Amino acid sequence: MNLEKVVFGFFVVLAATLNFGFFIGDISDPALHNPFELFAAVVVNLIATVLKFGDRTQIGAVHLATSLVAVLQLVAAALAYGYAEYVSTAGMNESWTASVVSLSGGALLANLVSIVLLVVETVSFHRG
Amino acid sequence: MGNPLLVFWKSLFDAEDEPRSRRATLRIAAASSAQASATIFLILRRMRTPLIVLIVIFAVSVLGLAIIPGQDLDGRPARMGFFDAFYFMSYTASTIGFGELPNPFTYSQRMWVTISIYLTVIGWAYAIGSLLALVQDRAFRSALALQHFSRKVARLREPFVLVAGYGRTGELLGHSLDGLGRRIVVLDHDSERIDGLELDSYHADVPGLAADARDPGHLAVAGLDHPSCEAVVALTDDEEANLAIVMAAALLRPELPVIARVTSHALAERMQAFGDPSLVNPFDRFGDHLRLALRAPASYQLLTWLESGPGGELTTRGAPPRDGRWVICGYGRLGRELSADLRAEGLEVSIIDDSPEDADDPALLVGDGTDPWVLAQGDLDRAVGLVAGTGNDTTNLSLVAAARRSRPGLFIVARQNRPASAPLFAAMDIDALLVPSEVVAHEVYGQLSTPLLWRFLREMPGRGDAWAAGLIDRLTAVCGTRLQALWKVRLNRSEAPALGAWLASGSARLGDLLRNPEDREEPLRALVLLVLRRGEATLAPDDDFVLEAGDELLLAGRPGARRALGTVLHVEPVLEYVLSGRRVPSSWIWRKLTRTPVAGADSRQ
Repeated sequence: MNLEKVVFGFFVVLAATLNFGFFIGDISDPALHNPFELFAAVVVNLIATVLKFGDRTQIGAVHLATSLVAVLQLVAAALAYGYAEYVSTAGMNESWTASVVSLSGGALLANLVSIVLLVVETVSFHRG
Repeated sequence: MGNPLLVFWKSLFDAEDEPRSRRATLRIAAASSAQASATIFLILRRMRTPLIVLIVIFAVSVLGLAIIPGQDLDGRPARMGFFDAFYFMSYTASTIGFGELPNPFTYSQRMWVTISIYLTVIGWAYAIGSLLALVQDRAFRSALALQHFSRKVARLREPFVLVAGYGRTGELLGHSLDGLGRRIVVLDHDSERIDGLELDSYHADVPGLAADARDPGHLAVAGLDHPSCEAVVALTDDEEANLAIVMAAALLRPELPVIARVTSHALAERMQAFGDPSLVNPFDRFGDHLRLALRAPASYQLLTWLESGPGGELTTRGAPPRDGRWVICGYGRLGRELSADLRAEGLEVSIIDDSPEDADDPALLVGDGTDPWVLAQGDLDRAVGLVAGTGNDTTNLSLVAAARRSRPGLFIVARQNRPASAPLFAAMDIDALLVPSEVVAHEVYGQLSTPLLWRFLREMPGRGDAWAAGLIDRLTAVCGTRLQALWKVRLNRSEAPALGAWLASGSARLGDLLRNPEDREEPLRALVLLVLRRGEATLAPDDDFVLEAGDELLLAGRPGARRALGTVLHVEPVLEYVLSGRRVPSSWIWRKLTRTPVAGADSRQ
């Protein structure tokens, strides 16, 4: 067992699960989407991205690309959330909630691709 | 796993008869640049931990601030939002500190902020410290230098010479080529020499890389596979390295000319097995020069002058003794070459060496040459010349001093090994001084500058001493004792468009062309050294020489004369004035109005 692989897998999966947790629920109901979960998703995704730095293989490059997409989408969602909360006079209404959640939905897709890559990498790993 | 598009592409175009070697070099260059990017990846990898530490510290601090309850100005409970918390942590962690925003903190918040301040400062210090350490890292810097260098070389569009080994010889050669307006790329294993490149006063930018030239990958990065690379010069002080460079160049780019410095015959043979490299042996060349100097002092003087490159001073013509005994001190590579050369000239030789490797020569005397008694044993009192040719400058200088004291009128040949001793040898006023690095640099310059000059230098000694003396007089009359511009002109449609009809007339005298376009009574201050016509060379033709279309001319003269001749070759009215003295209007309308026919213009209609 390789500790580095454990940490890597842990963060990739955690990034996807947190993202999923925030995404699930009625898309326009702010009560169903906890901002703390969004925060956790952003942080874990950032860590997962940094963990993917410096891998020279082809699959490593695709890993990094998917993570960058996920981070981009989640940061966009966080910015939208902040704008709705602090700047917009309407506050966190249905349409703002919908756009924040749909942005995180895009990130979820990227995270799922990441997980698929992780599984592919594991399956194609031959011992000896 | 393969990209199907790539496979298709490969199967489509691989059938083309692209030279195998070309692909090999491309692969090598790619491997070498991959090496450079590998270092960048390593550095990214090393930044992982500091970045993750920073992210975690930030996340924990922001989360804490967002959870801990606070209160607003009226004392009502109010939590900080994520944005407020992130904003506060950003300016606190970066030690800017705007104060407690948006509301004054409660004590529980302040406790948390105290902890987070210490945490974030440590996190930042760690991250920035690691980043600075990486920037200082040797591997990182050399990877950056390699990338910078390969980008510079790849962008070169002019022809350039790849110089491997940038010692004294490389420096001299570089400056001579730079004076001709040629580009060079430099490779040397010593990073100090490459750093010194930036301080050198070159006209053009000279890309340099501190790397081992024996590695074909480094040669490829330095432009061995570049289409504009016109020659490879191996000038390192390590003979094995020169052999490796010759091998790499011959195998990867067989069509490129290669010039290598070599001093041992065994290695020269091994180099000759790879293609047809041009080998320069400083001792061999110096022996040839000395023979030439003995036989024809003026030819030798002309040879050294032209080889010294633009700006070279005319040396004084020596008068070496033609017969008599020579004493050679030091029986190394130089001693062997010179004793063979002098004997071939029919001169008597006695040799002194304190520890010869093989004492096969009958004239060899074992002993310390600086000892007057040993010198006397070598028949110094009957000698006409002395060669101080050991590998030690101090010994050579004391040999010269000892010999001069016992016989003042001796012709002295000395070898200078280190550049630092140059002023001492200059003060000794040596008759013929061998500086191996300069001999090699001049020889390589002669070969690389233009093929015409090389041809001239090879054929010139055959013309005899009186001819050479006459040519030196003509040259000094044109450009003084300092060599000025040296350039070549090909009399064809692109380089001499105005000359077409005149050349075709069959009475194109050289003397008519070389006139000052300002005042045709004055001759142009330039001299034709050589005319090459269909592979046949005519050396220093006189004014009655008849030019033909397609001739190649090698000229020496003042830079002003070069510009003036360029005008004559390109502008028809100027040519008309130079040839006939008639002033012809240069604009088409005025020509039509005055009905002046122009020789060059008529021929094309």
